[in-house]
Amino acid sequence: MKRKGFFLLLMMTITILLTSCWSKKELTDLAIVAALGVDKTKDGRYHITLQIINPGNVAGGMQGGGGGTQSPPITIYSASGDNVVEASRRASGRISRRLYYAHTNLVVVGEKLAKEEGINTLVDAFDRDPEFRNTSTLVIANHSSAADLVKTLTPVDKIPANKVLKTLEFTERKWGEDVKTSLQEVMKSLESPGRGTVVSGFRLDGNPQQAQKLDNLQESAPGATLRASGIAVLKQGKLVDWLYGKPARGTVWILDKIQGTDINIDWEGRKEAIAYQAVRQKTSVSAQVKNGQPHISVHTRVEGDISEMEVPVDITNPKIITKIEQSVRKEIKQELKTAIERAQKNKTDILGFGEVVHRTRPNQFKKLKTEWNDVYFPKLDVDITVEAYVRRAGLRNKSFLSGLKENQK
Amino acid sequence: MEKAKISASQLFILMVLFELGSALLVPLAIDAKQDAWLAILLGMVFSFVLLLVYHRLYTYYPDLLPTEYMQRILGKVLGTVLAFVYILYFMYDASRVLRDFGEMLLTFAYPDTPLFIANALLMLVIIYTIRKGIEVIARSGELLFIFMYVLAIAGFILIVSSGLIEIKNLQPILEEGLFPVLKVVFTQTLYFPFTEVIVFTMILPYLDNPKKAKVTMLCATGLSGINLIITMLINVCVLGVDLTARSQYPLLSTIESIQVANFLERLDVFFMLALIITIFFKICVLFYAAVVGTASLFKIKSPSRLSYPLGLIILFLSITIASNLQEHNHEGLKVAMFVIHIPLLAIVPPFLLLVAFFKNRKKHGENT
Repeated sequence: MKRKGFFLLLMMTITILLTSCWSKKELTDLAIVAALGVDKTKDGRYHITLQIINPGNVAGGMQGGGGGTQSPPITIYSASGDNVVEASRRASGRISRRLYYAHTNLVVVGEKLAKEEGINTLVDAFDRDPEFRNTSTLVIANHSSAADLVKTLTPVDKIPANKVLKTLEFTERKWGEDVKTSLQEVMKSLESPGRGTVVSGFRLDGNPQQAQKLDNLQESAPGATLRASGIAVLKQGKLVDWLYGKPARGTVWILDKIQGTDINIDWEGRKEAIAYQAVRQKTSVSAQVKNGQPHISVHTRVEGDISEMEVPVDITNPKIITKIEQSVRKEIKQELKTAIERAQKNKTDILGFGEVVHRTRPNQFKKLKTEWNDVYFPKLDVDITVEAYVRRAGLRNKSFLSGLKENQK
Repeated sequence: MEKAKISASQLFILMVLFELGSALLVPLAIDAKQDAWLAILLGMVFSFVLLLVYHRLYTYYPDLLPTEYMQRILGKVLGTVLAFVYILYFMYDASRVLRDFGEMLLTFAYPDTPLFIANALLMLVIIYTIRKGIEVIARSGELLFIFMYVLAIAGFILIVSSGLIEIKNLQPILEEGLFPVLKVVFTQTLYFPFTEVIVFTMILPYLDNPKKAKVTMLCATGLSGINLIITMLINVCVLGVDLTARSQYPLLSTIESIQVANFLERLDVFFMLALIITIFFKICVLFYAAVVGTASLFKIKSPSRLSYPLGLIILFLSITIASNLQEHNHEGLKVAMFVIHIPLLAIVPPFLLLVAFFKNRKKHGENT
């Protein structure tokens, strides 16, 4: 009987312990950090900017009728410190709640910091923290400070961090001049021997002061907006170059991250006359080493549709299609070549060619490793082969322009 | 020895859960870099040899616990000392696994909780289970084994479908040749986790059908080996070698990377549940072996009485064993491996077998 009583007591004590109130975090005590911006102050310290969600104002839209526009969906707090963790702890003096990083999906690094000090020293704090997720996206602010970028309010997607993430995700897939790079991917490529790193770039168009105000959102064409802009090239963690336009798209292409994009080809003297819309593509890179000299082949295969013609072309004729395909091939090849040349000029192997050599020819790569970026990569021989196919052409065969031309004869 | 019987399938399940135990937690064999999977595979294959040694010893004395037949083989004094050493080893190993468990919980989920509380809560459950005996352990194993595999398969499908696997991370294969891999095999994977199953020699006498012992042992080791290989392959494919090597708990990082369709993410609970299940059984088996071993050595009638004192010893040992996680890991990989695992798992049993072989042959010769 005594024993039973003891057990009863024990079990009751356990139930108290098992309710796990120990490290409890009440939802009302959490400040959910959506985005984190890191800049460098003039005296060389880190300045972090925290984008914190105002839960009431985000849900406001559900109650209909333009509710929740009284105050912004996010609030910004910032603090400085000698390292990121210190700055984050210092910030708690300004916030009534506990900072909660588990939902931080976006880390913005200021251009100045990336250029002068590099991101290598920053990353460990994010990597080590059990609350922080490695899947969060890393962005470098293009021509602005991280603080300005984080402070900007955005239309459509109320939480600016989400707007940035979605923009990157869709442009990477549908246009291809930007990449979406997670912290984990960036770390992986920083660590890889003889490899440069690409990081997504984002910029603020317009006046930073204007961008923080709700008034900005009440215009149909906001004066200050955020947009994906360029790809940051990092060499040993430091920002060395920005890629825009064709070199940027070529780089994303070789990294095999593009799904669909639009390629224009010239036709019968008219520039950019036919729009070819890539639907899917696959790029593979292979390497050979001959007499100690590395040799890279890039092969890409792309399938797509014709989506616009500004000149009358009779595409019912398969021979014409073949010709279009050839032009597309040339166009893509040219683009990839620009990307490679740009990377070689920067002496930064952002395309991961070194890794390919390492994987397929590990013994030879040992000799090349130390001087890969500065000696071997810039004078690398690269073969580019492109296979392009036109599969469909939308709802019509001949263009409306062809009919116009025939009837006017 | 208690009067209990377990079936071959129950033994199989216990062995699989035991070997997965804390091996799922750590970056196993990562010293072999991208060839870690190969080191695990070879470790598994070589462990079959030692498993056959353990099994052969069992066939000489199918009804006796190792702590008893050691006395038969080596004589009363030496045998008793050796048996005592093995009991200490089982308890030490149990406390190591318990510490692993506590450190995992604290690092990841409960940063404010004292280690003692986390360990004590699991230990209380284990003490209770041990009191109920081997049959209960085996039956609960059957239940949770299914649960564990459902989790594992679901996790596997999610990882594959989120497109995280990059096979090229595994290349180049054998970058530095076979030697570094073999070094890892013979200093790590062969002992942890595979031949740690020496503890099951304490449980084999409970088997209802002794003929099935050999097949069961080999199959269980094979299955858990394959599981560990797949886990490590996935870890390296998803995280890359460097990140895997830097991670305290690579599988956790891998599972955290899962993002399917923008809403299936943060599935860390999968990892926690799988690890708690396997670690629970690993400690249970080690602890149980220590309890029945002590009972037989000191002629204690009801072994279940020992569960409280020994359980408390394991609990306190798990706290005092190291002052931080780094020290704990260093001890496990660099010290305990050579001082404890290699002598007790790979040197003593073959020696025992040799002596037993000559003793039994002589006896056999006298009979004919």
